[in-house]
Amino acid sequence: MTGIARTASPETIGETSAIVAGFTGSIAYIAGGTDLIIALEQGFRPDMIVDISRMEALNFVEINFKHVRIGAATPVSALTKLNELHKGIAALSQAAEQFGSAQIRNRATLGGNIASAKPAGDLLPVLMCLDCHIEVLCRDGSTKKLALDEVVTDSGTTSLDNGDLITAINLPLQLGDNPISAFGKIGRRRELTIARLNLTVLADYQTETSLARDIRIVAGAIGPVPLRLKCVEQELRGRKVDQTFADDFLGALTGAVDAAIPGRYSQTYKRQAVMGLGLDVLQSLFGREFSLPACLRGMT
Amino acid sequence: MNFLKQDNLLITEPALKQEPIVLQINGVEYRDYTTATKTLSQFLRETAGLTGVKTGCNEGECGACTVLVDNKPVNSCLILAFQAEGRQIITIEGLLGADGTLSPLQQAFLDYGAVQCGYCTPGMILAAEGLLREIPNPDDREIRRALAGNICRCSGFLNIIKAVKSVASQTDTPVVA
Ligand SMILES: Cc1cc2nc3c(=O)[nH]c(=O)nc-3n(C[C@H](O)[C@H](O)[C@H](O)COP(=O)(O)OP(=O)(O)OC[C@H]3O[C@@H](n4cnc5c(N)ncnc54)[C@H](O)[C@@H]3O)c2cc1C
Ligand code: FES
Ligand code: FES
Repeated sequence: MTGIARTASPETIGETSAIVAGFTGSIAYIAGGTDLIIALEQGFRPDMIVDISRMEALNFVEINFKHVRIGAATPVSALTKLNELHKGIAALSQAAEQFGSAQIRNRATLGGNIASAKPAGDLLPVLMCLDCHIEVLCRDGSTKKLALDEVVTDSGTTSLDNGDLITAINLPLQLGDNPISAFGKIGRRRELTIARLNLTVLADYQTETSLARDIRIVAGAIGPVPLRLKCVEQELRGRKVDQTFADDFLGALTGAVDAAIPGRYSQTYKRQAVMGLGLDVLQSLFGREFSLPACLRGMT
Repeated sequence: MNFLKQDNLLITEPALKQEPIVLQINGVEYRDYTTATKTLSQFLRETAGLTGVKTGCNEGECGACTVLVDNKPVNSCLILAFQAEGRQIITIEGLLGADGTLSPLQQAFLDYGAVQCGYCTPGMILAAEGLLREIPNPDDREIRRALAGNICRCSGFLNIIKAVKSVASQTDTPVVA
């Protein structure tokens, strides 16, 4: 690997601002490096590499009754226990639990997952489902707050300008009185062509009546950007959570996945994988068992 | 700090960082004038001569290059050397006692037949070492999870798990009598 880049290791946000504002060349931030170093290996050459992995101001989790705020350079390994703080963000800790390997989790960050904007970015559908706001410090020193779909616009593409720094991610804990969430995925990262899918569900669940008063569902890795499954949500919103709810959820889910990627899930075993994923996420979300729809039981 | 001026890109040797990179590895300080894009694994093997660090894939998939950075296992192929400045880096060489004795994990890997060709072994041991520093007495699931990023082509995982377990259960004995 030969390099042309300069490096900087600022310790504070102020220092970072001063460095990027005074530099006219192209900048690449490096946090965990788990995507950037692979790009460098493939020949990517920014003029300056700015290490943000040691900045305390970007490495934190803050929680109060209204929101969770997470520093952009917080490693994924620090997110695996978030469910203990609030059930509404359990999906994020489940996605973190299933992320890469221990070595990758110790380095990879939320900010890097967003800025890489990969269709396979596991945290993106979770952040979309939880209705996150992304805080950005622009190269000129101004700041902005954007929704996930305002930042991640296409596969590998963001609306960020060169030198824009994601500083924090805000997750409101606002879906009704009792928000609960869950995440699941199937397929391996490297298997780009065959079945890969992840699913995040957020519900406002009234335990006493078993009502899902509200529900948001986002699928990932099936298109260039995360896909909100509004038609599935519509079918389920306000309903009692029972086996019929599960049957309809799985039916609508396979329908939506089929529509998003026609053909890819048409084979029975793939359809079953989607159903299996849906079932896992439902069970994890509501903490109880459901069975596959009657028409599919025993099918192989 | 004049590195802020892009003009410098033209008038200085562009491949070199102006300041040397200084790394603390196994308690020893190493310094080198090196390229900005040099990875920690390259620094460890080429600059520090610590060839116990193996590289297989160079993309985070095999775990052979695992080292500890501030006690946490990471893939040294996926950290730039300059990012590790000011941190404590431990490689397989750093687990040896001062008198050259093997660490409990190193010994256990030999005792339990967990080493065959040995290529994965340094990374495997450091991943396990990182686990034990975080969770002194892990269960099977935690051990498997901690080693999931380390590929062994030769052996089944069974002896490796047994070796790690044997060291884990040693820490079970009360420290204070
Ligand atoms: C073996 C392996 C397994 C993986 N497994 C998974 C997985 O299970 N799920 C998954 O989603 N991904 C996975 N990835 C991909 C990768 O780990 C993630 O995308 C990760 O979140 C990237 O974060 P990072 O901090 O390492 O980013 P970096 O590599 O440091 O940066 C990536 C990009 O984001 C930019 N950037 C980083 N931080 C900021 C910021 N704060 N503001 C602005 N720009 C920024 C960088 O300039 C660069 O362009 C895996 C990668 C590897 C190598
Ligand atoms: S060489 Fe680093 S993980 Fe394979
Ligand atoms: S012993 Fe040969 S790769 Fe593990």
